[in-house]
Amino acid sequence: MNNLEKYNEIFANVFGAQPDQLGANYCKENVSEWDSVHQLNIISEMEDAFDLMLDPEDIVACTSYEAGKDILRRNGVEI
Amino acid sequence: MLIDLDKIPAERIAALDSSGNKVSYGDICTLSAAVKQSVGERSLCFMLVENTAGALAWVMASLASETLVPLILNVKTEAGLLQSLMDTYKPAYLCVPETFALEQTCDSNEVKAEFGYRLIRTANPLCALYPELSHLLPTSGSTGSPKLVRHKYANIEAAALNISTFFELKASDRPLLVLPLYYTMGLSVVFSHLKVGATVLITGLNMTDRLFWSFIKTERATSFTGVPYSFHILNLMRFMRMDLPDMELLTQGGGKMPTDLNLKFAEFCQQHGKRWIATYGQSECTARMAWLPPKWAIEKVGSIGIAVPNAELSLQDSDGNEILTPHTEGEMCYRGKNVTMGYARQQSDLALGDERGGFIRTGDLAYRDEDGCYYIVGRMGRFLKLFGMRVGLDECEQIVQTETGAECACVGTDEKMIVYITEAQKQEQVKQVLVEKTHIVATSFEVRIIPEIPKNETGKKLFKQLPNK
Repeated sequence: MNNLEKYNEIFANVFGAQPDQLGANYCKENVSEWDSVHQLNIISEMEDAFDLMLDPEDIVACTSYEAGKDILRRNGVEI
Repeated sequence: MLIDLDKIPAERIAALDSSGNKVSYGDICTLSAAVKQSVGERSLCFMLVENTAGALAWVMASLASETLVPLILNVKTEAGLLQSLMDTYKPAYLCVPETFALEQTCDSNEVKAEFGYRLIRTANPLCALYPELSHLLPTSGSTGSPKLVRHKYANIEAAALNISTFFELKASDRPLLVLPLYYTMGLSVVFSHLKVGATVLITGLNMTDRLFWSFIKTERATSFTGVPYSFHILNLMRFMRMDLPDMELLTQGGGKMPTDLNLKFAEFCQQHGKRWIATYGQSECTARMAWLPPKWAIEKVGSIGIAVPNAELSLQDSDGNEILTPHTEGEMCYRGKNVTMGYARQQSDLALGDERGGFIRTGDLAYRDEDGCYYIVGRMGRFLKLFGMRVGLDECEQIVQTETGAECACVGTDEKMIVYITEAQKQEQVKQVLVEKTHIVATSFEVRIIPEIPKNETGKKLFKQLPNK
């Protein structure tokens, strides 16, 4: 599984989202389930999947599918 | 005046919210006088609040006016539920945010507008209100029960004094208030801090919102009060890796916190020169009733500690005799001036006086240790007799949580315990763990999978929504 597939799987686990739903519009504003608990779940799944330790700053920034990718890049994950 | 609000310098800020709105102590006193003048006779008011400085001002001004008696509710109360409360209690006034959509018939009867809120006279006639009745709070935010807790002015005075005493609050404090104003513990944060002339930092922002954290940092919050769920989120937010030098006190209430999380915060606070104070309370007693002094935070983790100042805890056996020996379980009872007057279920109940006389049976089963610190074992009634053995449902939840990490809710009858969990893959493991720990045959336990454990907004499990057989 490549990094993008791993990343998409997180959204399948947290929201039950299919890869074709994911994109620039997949964000906190458009996804009604995206509350603080889901946001924290995405972060902890990202930490597990990519063996990272993310900061509070990353958690508050994680408000969209694309923002999550930026967080991974900032932490040295190629995606 | 109530909690001597008029003795605090008028220009001092009483509340500051995360949108930058401020109200001073003087603002509250002025609004209080204006409310008293324009309302005149004591009247029931439904106050639909958000966590803003304006809402705090209206709540405190109403209470201090001793004229407007508010039922404090979430502004997001579901429309049907709000209507049923309106039909039951027929309030003479509504106090709502300016943005709140009202029926047109109401719109024309605005009495006053201030701090982003409007006070509106409804078509309902005035009703009889007991002279000491100060305010009403819902017993449940979400289930739609019309049962309310009836508070008196002396409850507010007592809560403000007791709580500010044991937390050692002072005028320079800047407590962060994330708990809602319509929740007893949120209100108690307000009462106790305004008593000492502090500035309440109030916000309705989500803890995962960037603005929430910049508010804490910019405004240099000195304390945080939360329910177990809040600390769960703080922990996930890596609170312990944050640099918050001004944050000197963390206080927890609103239910038992998982031991490992409690210990984690207790140890963190000890290592960083902060105070960690776990408390116990009920809305029937204007929030806080017991507190665990920080010196025992680690040694006696899980204990609710001792009674708050000016109050008394005791234990009674099933015959109503007081239990005096340590490590003996009984129903915990409480005596203090913060014990509320009773419940209301209909409008005519608002004329009732004090039905409790400062004493309440808590409904919690507890014991105390040699130092007089109390430990809650479970709710009275939250026990089953399986094959003649008394089994604590709360205790079983604790076992499942600790041993498997699965969140669960246990209910049942003396025939069988029903264990609800959300993680299907742990079904077998949960059953095994319970059999191992309780030594009761496996057929006494049925583990069911549900998508979510039903809870109220403060995180307390709603057992009544789960079938018990």
